[in-house]
Amino acid sequence: MISMKLIDVKHVWKIYNEGYENEVRALADVSLEIDRKEFVAIIGQSGSGKSTLMNILGCLDVPTYGDYHLDGHLVSEMSDAQLSKIRNREVGFIFQGFNLIPALTALENVELPLTYQGVFGSRRREMALEALEKVGLAERCNHKPSEMSGGQQQRVAIARAISTRAPIIMADEPTGALDSKTGKHVLEILHGLHDEGTTIILITHDNKIAATAERIVRISDGQIIQDCPREEAEL
Amino acid sequence: MNITQSFKMAIKSITDNKARSILTMLGIIIGVAAVIIMVSVVQGANQWSKEYYEKQGTNKVTVNAYPYNGKDITEDLYNYCLGLSEYVAGVTPNGSVYTDIKYKTKSTDNMEYGGPSTYLGSDQYSLCNNFTLAKGRDISQLDVKKENQVIVLGARVAEYLFGVSEPVGQKVTVGGVSFTVVGVYKAKDPDSDWSMDNMAVVPYTCGRLLGQNSASTNFTVKATGREEANKAVTMITGFLSGLIPTGTGDYWVQSENQWQEMDEQYTQQMSLVVGGIAGISLLVGGIGIMNIMLVTVTERTHEIGIRKAIGGSRRSIIMQFLIEAAVVCCCGGFIGVVIGYLGTVVAGKLTLDMLIFPSVGMTVGAVGFSVLLGIIFGMYPAIKASGLQPVEALRAD
Repeated sequence: MISMKLIDVKHVWKIYNEGYENEVRALADVSLEIDRKEFVAIIGQSGSGKSTLMNILGCLDVPTYGDYHLDGHLVSEMSDAQLSKIRNREVGFIFQGFNLIPALTALENVELPLTYQGVFGSRRREMALEALEKVGLAERCNHKPSEMSGGQQQRVAIARAISTRAPIIMADEPTGALDSKTGKHVLEILHGLHDEGTTIILITHDNKIAATAERIVRISDGQIIQDCPREEAEL
Repeated sequence: MNITQSFKMAIKSITDNKARSILTMLGIIIGVAAVIIMVSVVQGANQWSKEYYEKQGTNKVTVNAYPYNGKDITEDLYNYCLGLSEYVAGVTPNGSVYTDIKYKTKSTDNMEYGGPSTYLGSDQYSLCNNFTLAKGRDISQLDVKKENQVIVLGARVAEYLFGVSEPVGQKVTVGGVSFTVVGVYKAKDPDSDWSMDNMAVVPYTCGRLLGQNSASTNFTVKATGREEANKAVTMITGFLSGLIPTGTGDYWVQSENQWQEMDEQYTQQMSLVVGGIAGISLLVGGIGIMNIMLVTVTERTHEIGIRKAIGGSRRSIIMQFLIEAAVVCCCGGFIGVVIGYLGTVVAGKLTLDMLIFPSVGMTVGAVGFSVLLGIIFGMYPAIKASGLQPVEALRAD
């Protein structure tokens, strides 16, 4: 049966060094469904497996066992080209460490996913500038990452994630490397995107940040121990 | 992603990482230029020695014969060689006298680098020693037979004695004996101080007039080819053994080609040694390329992780890296060739006073090798990292 949920994870395991003494079960039998236009916070201590889960959701990693359907398609059966397309068009990923390419300017970094999508010339520039505008950085577009503050770099990373107008944004501790004020600004941007209809999945270890989401998924030792609307969650 | 975009991306990556690009190029430039210059200079030296031997006349056989009774074997040898036309192109006695040649008040005793050798030759002297006439005529068989007092001058001597005026028909004295100049040879070695053109030839039958009272004992035989020279040695040895039975004299017959062959062997060894050194510098250049490429693998692996995470497919990433490596390496190869050619011309002028150019095959080989190496190691991170899950590539920090 094809799931109609946007994200449908069934009995997923991620095991490192399987069969060896130093075997690590980062995820153990995790099942999770997320619908379109949700704003979900995945919360857990460091080492709980939340980043591993996020990487699998964002198609940056593959589960050891279990099925992951994204928009009805089984991810484990996709070719490299199909996966590239998903990463490019369906999911915008925001990393804790920004992961910008240092040699490129802000604008060029934001243009990159559009280039891989096949958008060229002035149209690409327009779309990238529009994304930078959304995060309030249009006037800094010709600066390189090293010439920007952490908050500005994270906003460039967000602009890159939203430049292709991907329907899902996944953010892995997007405020982790930022001070509380710039962190708040980043969160505001994410909420703005959610208001426009983007599905947001946010990873954090910070209860206060999680509290801004609609739904809280708590993960510990590789297993989901709580999954409920914010109002019911114990934070 | 199309090729144009990959190309743009590759160019961008090259200009954004100038230090890395320049270091990579440097390895290729040095490798290519060193190989081209070194190998070309050795090839130039080979060429030089080949030309030297060709000027002297190749495929010569030296015959020395000393009958104890002082018998003159010149005519016997001459006639025998005429019958060997399959192997022998010419034969001449090769004796010489060092005495002054005078024209009016000018004497070759005053020449800057010493006077000429006057050879006592046959009508085939010029053929055997690779001289060609510039004007007049050569010594003839009749001159030899009639002991005509005629002389053919080498270019250096003619120029010294006559300058721009016409030598043919003039009378000169050789050791006080009058000879008529009937011809002048073309200069074949105009640039050296000890020129091969500092010579003159008179019929060997005039030797007695010049104080050579004994018969000729030294001869030069010109063979028609390399193989033929060896055959001529055997045949003439056989002939002499009949002419001078054991106990009645000494003789030996030698192919002059052995000197050239020794020289060729020597330059061949030089080629190997220098080629080896050049190969090592190419290898060192290659290792340089390899190093700089491998050092940046971690950095590039991380970059590849980012590119994959935002939707770069394996194909497009490998394409970008391939183009990048190819462009850097080809630029380096091109600069290396330019430097190599300039260096070869300069080195050729300095060491051999010759204009030498590198061979195309060697150039292509050197460039091909370093470019191939550069491309392989330039693509190495792309091939390695683009197959990883993005998360794994991103972990490279």
